[in-house]
Amino acid sequence: MKKYVVSDIPRRDFLKMSLKGGLVFAASPAILSSLTSCGSESVSEATGMSIDPAILKKVIGKALEKGGDFADVYLENRVSRQIVMEESKFKNGLYGVSQGAGVRVISGNKTGYAYSDEITEEKLLRAAEVASYVARNGSAVTPVDINKAERKSYITVEQPLAEIADSRRIEIIQRANDAAMSYNPLIKMASVDYYDEIRSRVIANSEGIYLQDENPLMFFIVQTMSDNGKARHMSRERLSKHSGFEMFDKFSPEEVAEKAAREAVAMLDAEAAPAGIMDVVMMNGWGGVLVHEAVGHPLEADNISKGIGAFTGKLGQKVASDVFTMVDDGTIPNARGTISFDDEGTQAKRNVLIENGVLNGYMTDVLSAKQLGMERTGNGRRESFRYIPIPRMTNTFIENGESEPADILASTKKGIYVQSLSGGSVNPVTGVFNFTCREAYLVENGKKTKPVKGATLIGSCLDVISNIDAVGNDLDFGPGICGKGQAAEVDAGQPTVRIRGINVGGSRS
Amino acid sequence: MNYINLTNSLVAKALELGANSAEVYLETGRNLSIQVLNGEIETIEEAASAGIGFRVLVDGKTGFSHCNDLSDKSLEDTLKQAIEFAKLTTPDENNVLPANSEMTDIEGLYDPEISTIPMEKKIEIALKLEELALSDPRISKSSGAGYNEGEEEVYIANSNGLSKNYKSNGCSIGVSVVAEKGEQKNTGGEYCSRRFFNDLDPIEKIASKAADEAAALIDPVMIPTQRAAVIVDSGTAGSIIRGIIGALNGERVQQGASFLKDSMDKSFASTLLTIVDDGIRPKGMGSAPFDGEGVPTQKRVLVEKGVVKGFVYNTIAANRAGVESTGNASRRGFTGLPGIGTHNLYVEAGENTPEEIIAATKKGLLVTQITGYGINSVNGNFSGGASGFWVEDGKKKHPVKGVTIAGTADEILNAIDMMGDDVDMNKSFTVPTFRVKEMMIGGS
Repeated sequence: MKKYVVSDIPRRDFLKMSLKGGLVFAASPAILSSLTSCGSESVSEATGMSIDPAILKKVIGKALEKGGDFADVYLENRVSRQIVMEESKFKNGLYGVSQGAGVRVISGNKTGYAYSDEITEEKLLRAAEVASYVARNGSAVTPVDINKAERKSYITVEQPLAEIADSRRIEIIQRANDAAMSYNPLIKMASVDYYDEIRSRVIANSEGIYLQDENPLMFFIVQTMSDNGKARHMSRERLSKHSGFEMFDKFSPEEVAEKAAREAVAMLDAEAAPAGIMDVVMMNGWGGVLVHEAVGHPLEADNISKGIGAFTGKLGQKVASDVFTMVDDGTIPNARGTISFDDEGTQAKRNVLIENGVLNGYMTDVLSAKQLGMERTGNGRRESFRYIPIPRMTNTFIENGESEPADILASTKKGIYVQSLSGGSVNPVTGVFNFTCREAYLVENGKKTKPVKGATLIGSCLDVISNIDAVGNDLDFGPGICGKGQAAEVDAGQPTVRIRGINVGGSRS
Repeated sequence: MNYINLTNSLVAKALELGANSAEVYLETGRNLSIQVLNGEIETIEEAASAGIGFRVLVDGKTGFSHCNDLSDKSLEDTLKQAIEFAKLTTPDENNVLPANSEMTDIEGLYDPEISTIPMEKKIEIALKLEELALSDPRISKSSGAGYNEGEEEVYIANSNGLSKNYKSNGCSIGVSVVAEKGEQKNTGGEYCSRRFFNDLDPIEKIASKAADEAAALIDPVMIPTQRAAVIVDSGTAGSIIRGIIGALNGERVQQGASFLKDSMDKSFASTLLTIVDDGIRPKGMGSAPFDGEGVPTQKRVLVEKGVVKGFVYNTIAANRAGVESTGNASRRGFTGLPGIGTHNLYVEAGENTPEEIIAATKKGLLVTQITGYGINSVNGNFSGGASGFWVEDGKKKHPVKGVTIAGTADEILNAIDMMGDDVDMNKSFTVPTFRVKEMMIGGS
């Protein structure tokens, strides 16, 4: 069973996990990449992603030669930079360029896929031939001429990454490190991980679309470790946008570092958490990862089209409490989960998945939309050219409600206040999920009191969304990496919410 | 292309361009993945690729770059980037590349047959495996079966004259099914990975394990919150033990970010706990003749009868600690620097069969699934979701789902009072069934 997780290290499917070192290409962590010589003025020129559309047309024709309903070609080039500071030293700098192309054929319910590192006509035609294996003896569509398609973009760039001197990256990292280390003498170590990339893609398919774009991504992670001789806590704060370097004009590295350091110090006094079923108040922001896992993954249409997903057959039914509305929106300007158009070329949009408790729709890609006879929602995403697109979330969140966050806490007599979660996972068939708290407090008589050690929260998706009885008006987001056999960058969000009766894995009664 | 010559000439090129020392890591790979669903092919993916990673040192500073375009221009541009990037970093006297020219001789890392078996046969195995699992009357649906294979070659060369390479491959089959009863749903899955195609378990065995797992937890009964014995079965025990491995990471120990940082030669767990890392096991899925930076692998006892006997190191972390590298540099592909990881890791078998452990338990929880992150390697805290069976008077009484178990590493590991004999040495990480005398269980 594939597990669906959001965590620091995306889990892989069984083969990739078990063949340690044996399947390195497939198992490489977010395959970084991209390109090129410094000082180039225009990244698109640098990435050299120009290809004659006539070649793409020929490749699509070849892919459908033996039969098939649909074929597409995906070209990608990624240039990445990563600089890590640990123990106040710039430990290393990593630069990467990765390029390649994949050809896919869909014939009925079957998908054939092959990719190549080399983007040449010969290699693409060879990939098309391999991918067409599944379509033998099938009926065939005739591909139409490809033409440039129009898509709206939700990603803007003021300070292009290719024009940023490395000294500016270094300065940001140093500032974060200094802010973390000077926050409190109990902070013994900081780790600052700076990553940026420019990803270019070209998509063409047998329905005639031809699309090209280029997007930046920035990911900045500060971890701090506190130690008072008795207890130790590793904290984390992350900042990520599809944006140019102006991200740091809007959010300072000091702010990120101080948030991490505050958590590390606060949690030194954590006591053992109580065990058993209790009410949970979740702070606004990244806590939305709970519904990302518990509800979002089960609403991805691949398991629905197989007839095994937890929400199979529940469209139009009441599945959650009246105050619960959940949205996946790939168009939030410059957000980490924003995609403009998905990796199959479908325009991203705002999809209301559950509206006032009623199941409104699933998230589809080309294949699952076809299988279910539903519209494409713009959720067909892929980690890189080495993977086929599958239904994935973008920016997923619980929509604002009407309660005041302070009232939600004040009206909770006893329970746990969860300020941040590390991450979690869900079984999308049964809907059973789990999360680990990173920062949590006891709630006693409507007040946040003592910090408690990282407890696990468990439950089932249908129960949890029925038991959300208060939704605040303070929607916020947090960035993460979602793993589903392949990695995707996402945002998860929520206002402050209260969930009645979740099982909390504490170590005392 | 002769990759031995290529890696060596790129090392020379790096020195020419200004590096004081340099390492070139080249990997080529090929993989095939077949997924089937409901008696039909769902996906077939096939690809071959190659990539290269450069690690350079300039005045004690580390830079790294990688690319998968192996043309001369791309390689030179990428190499220059590593040298430029190195200049940004902080010098460290421990930044040294290994020089050891030896290789461990390991049998059985490459099966020449895998690639010669026709695609049709591989598809048929996956289809049959699914059919078998679905034929179990307790099973209502399939969530897919698959066959996968991968092959890779690694070439490492560095400016200390080290130049090594090896080839390995492997294959795996697996299936996942659903059991339903009314509104209840439960999933079960099983897979098998081997270096040699002919060593794969019979599909009957894999199918029945998957079906058993899916069917086992139907009609669960909730248990009250309490302290009781917890038996963790061999398929699950690894999720508790994994956190210990993170805490034995030599770099984390140096940074003070490990709950075992002060435990060398000290007892931190029950005398029943012995942990071994074996990088040289014939046909081992985690075996390799040398580690991710070319240091020969070995077999080492990390924990002996509850006492820490050794941490795991790559070259840089070992230099810092003033010891020799233990051959534990791990590399997740050509796209990153060597980290620290284990090879084939196992907890030594104890004396009791799993049945004996259950029979000896008056009251407790037999855990067959754990969710969550396991023991936190920084502070030793543990909390997870658990499912399995309630045991009373030495017998499985009823299934249990949706409870939690929690404690600290100190409490849990010292309370291990029975160790099973059921380690599966075909896996690269295996732990036998064990019993923890008492743990907090969160239920109703």
